[in-house]
Amino acid sequence: MVSTIYRAVNAAVGLAMTVAFLLLAAPASAQTPSQTGRDGGQYIPTIWVDPDGCEHWVMDDGAEGFMTPHVSRNGIPVCRRGKVCGMMKTDQYFATDSYRIHKAGQARLMEFFEGTNAVSYIITGHTDSRASDQYNMRLSRNRANSVAAIAQKSGARVSEVRGYGERQPVASNTSAEGMAKNRRVEIICIR
Amino acid sequence: MGKSAYLLVAACAFGLTACADYEAGLGGGFSADKTLDRGVDAKHLSQLQAGIWVDPNGCDHWIIDDGVEGYLSQRLDRHGKPVCSGVALPTQTVGDFKGGSTVRDPN
Repeated sequence: MVSTIYRAVNAAVGLAMTVAFLLLAAPASAQTPSQTGRDGGQYIPTIWVDPDGCEHWVMDDGAEGFMTPHVSRNGIPVCRRGKVCGMMKTDQYFATDSYRIHKAGQARLMEFFEGTNAVSYIITGHTDSRASDQYNMRLSRNRANSVAAIAQKSGARVSEVRGYGERQPVASNTSAEGMAKNRRVEIICIR
Repeated sequence: MGKSAYLLVAACAFGLTACADYEAGLGGGFSADKTLDRGVDAKHLSQLQAGIWVDPNGCDHWIIDDGVEGYLSQRLDRHGKPVCSGVALPTQTVGDFKGGSTVRDPN
């Protein structure tokens, strides 16, 4: 008797939960004709990786295809591998606070651009967190421009030059080692 | 959609079995899983083959013409900025972006 009541209650609770779940699961229940198909208006995408290594959401609903870049909530693309093909430690090319590249550094960069043969290059400068943000933005931009000038002299096409100052660290600025890693010019090769 | 209707009509006109291959899934469509390309050129969508289309501002987009489906998605660098490589003049395309599908379509 007790078990019969228990079973009945159990079944009733189960039914109530199922109904609740269905109500929750189908909030989109046919607001428009576009949600009336077998999919109930739900589009589950997969990932397509572009030749640069960055992800895109992709869907095929039968006769149409849809695609959009996969970016984080702050707008940064989700990429599987770094597209940076040249990473310059600025200590090896510039004196502190300077954006002039010494002779040996110029020759090395010339060699790099002549041997890489990309369609174009994006060059971005970065600093550690010492000095003001404004100063670092200017210094990193000037350094990126110095590298771009050599690229152009080698006949390469530069599609963009940017200075990010201290705003995109790759390591912690609390140690000398980390700061050295952050002082860099990145060269992205577009193929 | 216009394109797929064209394909359907053409396939039926030639009496091919592809008539039954109408990818929209006659009656109610497919489930919520949109990760596959169904029909004669069936594959997982990670296998798509892209080229570049340059927009009127000179910036790059990935373009894919996969039989009856078309895809276009912006080319972004690691910082999220548009890539404007200058690989071709505005409105031109580069690369075999129709090469990933065996479905013939007029465009």
